[in-house]
Amino acid sequence: MSTSLTAPYTTAFDFERTVGPRIGVFLAGLRERRLLGVRGSRGRVLCPVAEFDPVTAEATGDYVELDPVGTVTAWTWVDPRPADPLDSPFAWALVRIDGADDSFFHRVDTGGDPSLLSSGLRVRVRWAAETVGSIEDIVCFEPVTDDEPSGSAPSGSAP
Amino acid sequence: MSSVRPSTATDLPAPVRTISAPFHVDYTYVAGVGRSVYLRGMAERRFLARRCPGCGQVYFPAPQHCARCLQVLDPPFEIPGTGAVSTFCIVNLPFPGQLVEPPYVVAYINLDGTGNKLQHRVLEVAPGDVAVGMQVEPVWTDDDRLEPSLASVRYFRPADPALRDGGHDA
Repeated sequence: MSTSLTAPYTTAFDFERTVGPRIGVFLAGLRERRLLGVRGSRGRVLCPVAEFDPVTAEATGDYVELDPVGTVTAWTWVDPRPADPLDSPFAWALVRIDGADDSFFHRVDTGGDPSLLSSGLRVRVRWAAETVGSIEDIVCFEPVTDDEPSGSAPSGSAP
Repeated sequence: MSSVRPSTATDLPAPVRTISAPFHVDYTYVAGVGRSVYLRGMAERRFLARRCPGCGQVYFPAPQHCARCLQVLDPPFEIPGTGAVSTFCIVNLPFPGQLVEPPYVVAYINLDGTGNKLQHRVLEVAPGDVAVGMQVEPVWTDDDRLEPSLASVRYFRPADPALRDGGHDA
């Protein structure tokens, strides 16, 4: 009689939440397989998009179109959980998107091999087969291979 | 080379308004040595209470230590499980996992012989006929549904058969 009973429990809520108007444009961009950033009040480019500048707290400004390519700045290696879309171990990483001044937190898939990962690794977005307007439209980032350009040439006229 | 291109507002997609953000946690509930005493009693249709040797407070369900003076509680003893409605509300809203069709009463019950309150349903009575002070008694599940859980008590009902409507059986 001196031992404690235990039981499996589950707590679950099917929340639906609003995202804010600017993050909403960012997510809608993902649905079109476009990566959008936004200019903060200090002129820095934020990607993912934020509603407010993280330092000045002022509303963010114009959107910018970014190539879905960047550089790993920090990472940690993990085993996949049941809810993760990857079957093999991968990294949670900070990725600095080319042209952005902050970091994007997402998965990096190197096919289960941690030795292929390093700070400075060039990576690109792997899009989901079906996009819905969610951060999960990006399945993960994956290494840029040698036989492809690290970023497509700018198509706009701005230098 | 810059990969940043100005993007005019005219080619921006209409914003997503909401996203699905489900919250889901699987975990193991550990009842503790003290509360396991009452839970095991539930599987045997017994209300096992415990008294504090320091201040005399009687608990059901009982923890291992008195909440007032922190002494280890005395060994369990059986109480009848009858009590009086202390306060109650009428549940009118449906929600997932609900066991009884609304409207129904959820009450805090002063169990006879204890100094704390127990929350449970009060059925077999029209919600409008429930009153503070009403004497109630437990209704147990069938033998094959008994378990170390308060769910072994299906609900409470008026102790006086004349006050029961018999129509709201959970």
